[in-house]
Amino acid sequence: MVRKQQAHNEQHTHAMVIVGAGFAGLGMAIKLRQAGIEDFVILERASEVGGTWRDNQYPGAACDVPSNLYSFSFAPNPDWSRSYSGSREILDYIRYLADAYDLRRHIRFNANVDSLRFDEEAGVWRAHTDDGATHVGRATLLASGPLADPEYPNISGIDDFQGHRIHSSRWDHDYDFRGKKVAVIGTGASAVQIVPELVKEVDQLKVFQRTPAWILPRLDVATPEWNKTLFRRIPGAQDAMRKALYGVHEAMALGVVWNTPLTKLLERMARAHLHRQVKDAWLRRELTPDFTIGCKRVLMTSDYYPALQQPNCKLITYPIDRISEQGIRTAEGIEHQFDCIVFATGFHVNNQGAPIPIYGRGGRNLDAEWRGGARAFKGTNISGYPNLFMTLGPNSGPGHNSALVYMEAQLDYALQGVHKILQEDLKMLDVRPHVQQKHNERLQKRLAKTNWNSGCSSWYLTEDGFNATMFPGFATQFVQQLKTLQGKDYIKV
Amino acid sequence: MATIDLDQMLDKVKASQWALKDIDWDAPGAELITDEQWPKLRDFMVDLVWIEHVGARGFAAMAKNAPTDTLRQMYHYFYAEEQRHANAEMALMKRWGMLDGDDVPEPNNNIRLVVDWMEKHADELPYNVLGTVIPALEVALDGALCQFLLETVDDPVCHEAFDKINEDESRHLGVGFSVMEMQGHNQASVGMVRFMGRMFQPHVLLGLAVYTPLLNKMRDNVVKVGLPEEKLYHAMKKFEKIGGRTEQGRRNPMFQFVARHMRVMVDRNQKFYHTPVDLLVKLTDRIPAWALPDKPGWVGDVTWKPTD
Ligand SMILES: Cc1cc2nc3c(=O)[nH]c(=O)nc-3n(C[C@H](O)[C@H](O)[C@H](O)COP(=O)(O)OP(=O)(O)OC[C@H]3O[C@@H](n4cnc5c(N)ncnc54)[C@H](O)[C@@H]3O)c2cc1C
Ligand SMILES: [Fe+2]
Repeated sequence: MVRKQQAHNEQHTHAMVIVGAGFAGLGMAIKLRQAGIEDFVILERASEVGGTWRDNQYPGAACDVPSNLYSFSFAPNPDWSRSYSGSREILDYIRYLADAYDLRRHIRFNANVDSLRFDEEAGVWRAHTDDGATHVGRATLLASGPLADPEYPNISGIDDFQGHRIHSSRWDHDYDFRGKKVAVIGTGASAVQIVPELVKEVDQLKVFQRTPAWILPRLDVATPEWNKTLFRRIPGAQDAMRKALYGVHEAMALGVVWNTPLTKLLERMARAHLHRQVKDAWLRRELTPDFTIGCKRVLMTSDYYPALQQPNCKLITYPIDRISEQGIRTAEGIEHQFDCIVFATGFHVNNQGAPIPIYGRGGRNLDAEWRGGARAFKGTNISGYPNLFMTLGPNSGPGHNSALVYMEAQLDYALQGVHKILQEDLKMLDVRPHVQQKHNERLQKRLAKTNWNSGCSSWYLTEDGFNATMFPGFATQFVQQLKTLQGKDYIKV
Repeated sequence: MATIDLDQMLDKVKASQWALKDIDWDAPGAELITDEQWPKLRDFMVDLVWIEHVGARGFAAMAKNAPTDTLRQMYHYFYAEEQRHANAEMALMKRWGMLDGDDVPEPNNNIRLVVDWMEKHADELPYNVLGTVIPALEVALDGALCQFLLETVDDPVCHEAFDKINEDESRHLGVGFSVMEMQGHNQASVGMVRFMGRMFQPHVLLGLAVYTPLLNKMRDNVVKVGLPEEKLYHAMKKFEKIGGRTEQGRRNPMFQFVARHMRVMVDRNQKFYHTPVDLLVKLTDRIPAWALPDKPGWVGDVTWKPTD
C-alpha cells in the first residue's frame, strides 16, 4: 500500500509542491484554489498546521504587530480578543484557514522534505521526504519559514547540564515550574514575553543578558464587544482600521530603518519608558542599549521591566563562562544553580546557507552558493533555480511592519509565476543572472545606509556583517516591486 | 614590548575564566592567621574588597566608553573579573571568620565618597582618564597590596586565590598599558591641550578631591598592617616604568599626570601635597553616617558563596 502510494506520487506531477504549512504555505494554497488550481500538495514535517504559532506556545507568546495587521488581508477576523493576540489565538486562526478553505486534504503531515532537486529535462522539481517518498511539481514554493529551527547558544558545557532544558520554541507544557529555580538565557523578543509569565510561577528566576534591546511600551487591550460587532457588521470598518495600522507602521520605518530625527525621538521614548518603569539607576544602566534603535529588532512590551524587578527575579549581565552540571558559571566567579534552563535564544537564520539541500540547474548547490551570504531576486526567486519560489527569503524581512504584508505580495507574485509556467507551458522560468546581480547591488547600496548596518551585531547580519536578511525600505516599496512579474527579467524555456 | 593584539587577548581572557568553586575554601591552613594579624588583616581585607568592587565599577564605565567593540567586550569581562576578585576575597574573609553575616562589611568614609563619585561621574569620565587611572590603581593595589598579603599570610588557600587573581590582573595591566600607549600615539600633538580642558571640568576636580584622600588613607592602613612604604614606592615606580616604556606611552598626557601624582603621593616629604590631603582624610572620617550619600544600586553585589 505504502509502496503503491509512493509509486503513485512519483508518477504524478502536481502544478505545485509547497514545503511548509505555516502562514505562507497555507496562504499559497488558498491563492491557488482561488485561482482554480487544485492540483498541489503541501508537505509539512510536523503533525499540525501553524508553523511559528504551533511551535511557539511558550507562556506569554504573542504577536508584536497588532492582530488586525498581523493576519491575511483576504481573511479578516473580526473576533481578535486583544490588540496583540496570543499565540494560541493566532494558531486557531491558522487552523480556521486550513478548515475554511478546505486545505487539509492537500497536506501530507509528518513529511519532512530533506532535498529539493530540479529535473531540467522534465522541467519539474522533485521533493524528497525523509520517509522515502518523492513528490513532483512543475513549480515549488519553499515556505519552510524564516525562523523555524531553534538555535542554541554557543556556550561550552551546554550538554553537561543535568537539569531540565527547554527552548522557547519547543515548550514543555508538562514541566511544573512551581517552586523551581529557573534561568532564562537571552533577552530578545521571546524572552521579554516569557519572563513576565514565568516570574509569576517559579520560586526564583535569573535572566541572563548579553546585550539589552530597545524596548517600547505596548498598548495591549482587550477588544471590547461593540468593536467586534462593528467589525462583523461593517467589514469596511475593519479594513479602515487595518489601513490605519498599516500607515502607522510604515511611518515607523522612518525611525527604525534609517537614522532620522524620528530615530532620536523613538530612542527618547524608549528611554522614558525605561525611566518610568525602572527606578534604580544601575539597573537602568544595565538595560540601556548602546546602539542605534532599529539596529537590532525593536521590542514592544510594558511587562518586562516590572517583571525583572520582582523580588524573585534577578538580571545577570556578567558574561557567561560556561554551563556546568548544575547551572551557569558567569565571569564574576559564581555558579548560578538551576532546576531548569530556558533558552530564549532564537532561531537558526538561513543567511549563509540553504535551509535544506536544494539542487538547481546543472546540479548546482544552493547551500554552497549561499555560504558567502544568501542572495535572491526580490526575496522570492533565485537565479539558476527555475520555477522555485520562496516566501520571506533573503532580504525580505521587515523591521517595522507585518511580515504577512510582505508574504502576501510574494504569494501573489508566485501565483503569477505558476500561471505563466502553466499557461505558456514552460519548462523553466529562471531569473536572469545579471538581473539578480543588479538587484542585489542596489539592495546592498541601500542597506549600507540603514540602521541595521550601523555597527551592532545582530541576527540580521552574517558574521562578516553582510545583510542577507532585511529589506531596506517601506513595505509599500517591497509590495510595489512584486506587483507584476516582468517577463524580461526571466529566461523562459 | 609591542602593543598587544587585543582580539587575541580577548580570546585569552575568555579562555582563562575561573570560579570560586574551583577553590576548596575549607582546606586546612586557616589557622595560620595569627591572633595578632587578624584584626589588622580584617580591616585590610575590607578595604581590599571595596577597592575591587569600586575598580569593577570603573571597568564598567570603560566598557561603556571604549572606542571599539573588542575593548568594550574586554572591559565588560574585566568588570566581572574585578567582581570575582571581590567575591574571592570575601570568601577568604569568610574562611578566616571575618564576616558578620553574609554581606560585605561597611566601607570607610573615603570609599563611600569614591563610590558616590563613581556613581555620579564615572560614566562621563573621558575614556583616557579612566584608561590611565585604573591601571595606576591596579598597580598600586594589586601589585603592592597583594604582594604584601602573600608575604605576610601563610594560608595556602590565600595563595591559591591570589595566584588566580594576579593572573587576571596581569591581563588587565597588559591591556591597560597597551591602551595607554595607543592613546599616546593618537594624541601626540593635540593631546595636552584637550587633556587640560578635560581636567578642569568640575566633576574631574571633584574626583581628585575624593580619590586623593582615599589613596592616602590606603597608604596609612597599609603601613599600619606592616607594609614598608618603600613597597608602595616600588609599585608606583613599576607603573612609571611599564607605562613609560615606549615613546607613545610616555607621550600620553594622562600618564604623565598620574605618574607625577603617584610620585608625590608616595613621598611624604611633599608637605605641600600631604598636609591638605591628610586633613581631608581626617575630615572625611568625621562625616557622620547620615550625611553620607546613599549607596547606589550596584553596591553590595558581592558574595562569598561559590554557588547561588
Ligand atoms: C515568537 C515569534 C513571534 C513572531 N511575531 C511576529 C509578529 O508579531 N509580526 C510579524 O510580522 N512576524 C512575526 N514573527 C515572524 C513569523 O515567523 C512570520 O510572521 C510567519 O509566521 C512566518 O510564516 P511562514 O509560514 O513563512 O513560516 P513558519 O510559520 O515557520 O512555517 C514554516 C512551516 O514549514 C515547516 N517546515 C520547515 N522545514 C520543513 C521541511 N524541511 N519539510 C517540511 N516542512 C518543513 C515547519 O514545520 C513549519 O510548519 C514571529 C516569529 C516568532 C518566532
Ligand atoms: Fe583588582
